[in-house]
Amino acid sequence: MSEKDPIEKNGKQSPQSRLQALGIERLSLLGKYAQPLMQTYISGYFDETSVSEQALDKLIKARLLWRPDEQEALCLRPGVNGLIASLTEDERKRQINADIAGQLDQIRTRVTHYQDAQFRGDYAASEHHFQLLTEKVHDMTGQFSDAIASLWNRLNSDFGFVSNLADKIRENELAQKQLRRLLDGFELIDFNEMIELAQSNGALRKLLVSQLQVSISDHASSLLEVQKRLVELMARFRQQQERVQLIASMTAFLKQHPNFRVGDYANRSQVPELVNQAKPIIANAAIGLDRSSDSEVLAELVREIPIEHQGLVQVVQSGGEFELVDESLLQAREQALKEDVENFFIAILDTSPEEARGLSALDYLQQHRLAWDAEIWLFQVIAEFEGLATEFRRSFILEKCTRELDPFNQVDIIFDLNLRVNQGLVLK
Amino acid sequence: MIEHGPLLERLLAGQSICAVTDEEAFRRLQDEVTREELNHYLRPLNRRLAQSQDGSVFFLAYQELTTDAREHLSREFKQTIQSLLPLLEWMQLVQECLGRDSALSAGDTIKLQEFILKTEDNQSLRLRLGQLASDRYFKSGSDNLDTQLKLIFKRLKENGYLFQPHKDRQFYVVTGKIEQLIELVRFIKDEESLPLEQESEQESLF
Repeated sequence: MSEKDPIEKNGKQSPQSRLQALGIERLSLLGKYAQPLMQTYISGYFDETSVSEQALDKLIKARLLWRPDEQEALCLRPGVNGLIASLTEDERKRQINADIAGQLDQIRTRVTHYQDAQFRGDYAASEHHFQLLTEKVHDMTGQFSDAIASLWNRLNSDFGFVSNLADKIRENELAQKQLRRLLDGFELIDFNEMIELAQSNGALRKLLVSQLQVSISDHASSLLEVQKRLVELMARFRQQQERVQLIASMTAFLKQHPNFRVGDYANRSQVPELVNQAKPIIANAAIGLDRSSDSEVLAELVREIPIEHQGLVQVVQSGGEFELVDESLLQAREQALKEDVENFFIAILDTSPEEARGLSALDYLQQHRLAWDAEIWLFQVIAEFEGLATEFRRSFILEKCTRELDPFNQVDIIFDLNLRVNQGLVLK
Repeated sequence: MIEHGPLLERLLAGQSICAVTDEEAFRRLQDEVTREELNHYLRPLNRRLAQSQDGSVFFLAYQELTTDAREHLSREFKQTIQSLLPLLEWMQLVQECLGRDSALSAGDTIKLQEFILKTEDNQSLRLRLGQLASDRYFKSGSDNLDTQLKLIFKRLKENGYLFQPHKDRQFYVVTGKIEQLIELVRFIKDEESLPLEQESEQESLF
């Protein structure tokens, strides 16, 4: 605020247009160097290498930057800082101006100036003073609403701009102090005094009494709500803090005292509610056939039970009948089969050369009324042939009579075997 | 009564009902009449509805403390006390790991993946987690962070401290049972007058 006054005074002395030109030039300077200025706002100092020396000079002259101390870096003027903070609603840096007494003093002086000018009949001056007075009053109420908005913002973000709980609690305390000062300031506004100041002047009355009253009472109720919420939030913060501390201190305690034993609460005459947790009861139910109306449902249920079990049962039953054939018996059967096949081979050799077309294995099986299964018989014949020593094997020719099982899958099956003597070899 | 059947069954099976695990049932239990009805039913079973001090959890308590009941309570209590340290350590770990400034409370969600990411690159957190996992409460023998964590969360889920809303999605919601645990800690602190230094902070409330 302090830097506004001299400019205003200048404005009064020099033509209005000069002030306007200067203001526009400096505002556009803000726009032109928005990036380095914003960077300064964030980092706290101005990077002097980012702009030319000329520009730097301009920025300092424009009262945007200043050097608080010879040794220190350039930084933003407090007014600019505040401007950015209020534009961006940056709660970390936004300030609440609760100095109402000072502002009221300014209003009082302004009113006297105005009345004096009117008394003198200097209309131009009185109009000017009235404009300034209006600005002052709007400024004041504007600051209130800004301050309250800032408080609301902080509340709604749960002071989210600081990271830990202790900081939040401190921020909350700060906000409560600011709020109390605002409320104290409200009490300084004495409307009787305002009425007296305004006297019979309608415009002043409207400005100082009715408008101000409405906005102040609005703000006051809003502030009370903020206060209520702040206290609530503080209680919550405290609760959380207590909880964190409780956990931390209990953990530390238990670690330090590994043999710590708590009292036998369960066997006290007065068992604490907290400890009284009943044993679980797992509810079980069985089929009740006593109610005939249920029988249909139950039957339905029974029917739905998968009947896979029956397969199992059969296996067990057949297991009863199954007798392990004596091993020697098995061997004997195998031996018999082998002998029969050997006989078949000998029979081939016995055939006269004229009938050398060979013998069908299946025919032989039938002719000799052997009891072997045809398939097993064929397998055994092949096995016997393959098992012969190479020089003997050459004496025989085994022909596999095959047929295609299916025209599509090219699987041939052997349906018979034809064995004959290799004439060229045997006859000598 | 029959409409409360499933609820009763869960209560009888020893589950706690809170707004996280079963909002609908929890809402129903807010009703005085319903509670009376349930209590009427529970009386012959020597059970009654009880709720935690802050009212966030419902569970069953004994109506009359018989010898059997006392024995059970004593046993359960001992188990809870044994699990106290690992549980509190776990809570601290979660809080630090996820950078929260407040302790875990009912309704908070924990994403396992986020937890893994945060612990993976932090040697000291990993170490603490490893120690915690090998505690006899969690009983993990694995060196693998992923397995350790999954086991810890599974265990906590089994014991009712965490609730997993989707079976195959790895995020968990803290249940009201945590509140009960904190209440118990507070109770023990007061009852045994443990010298836990925090009174100085408390006095400056407001």
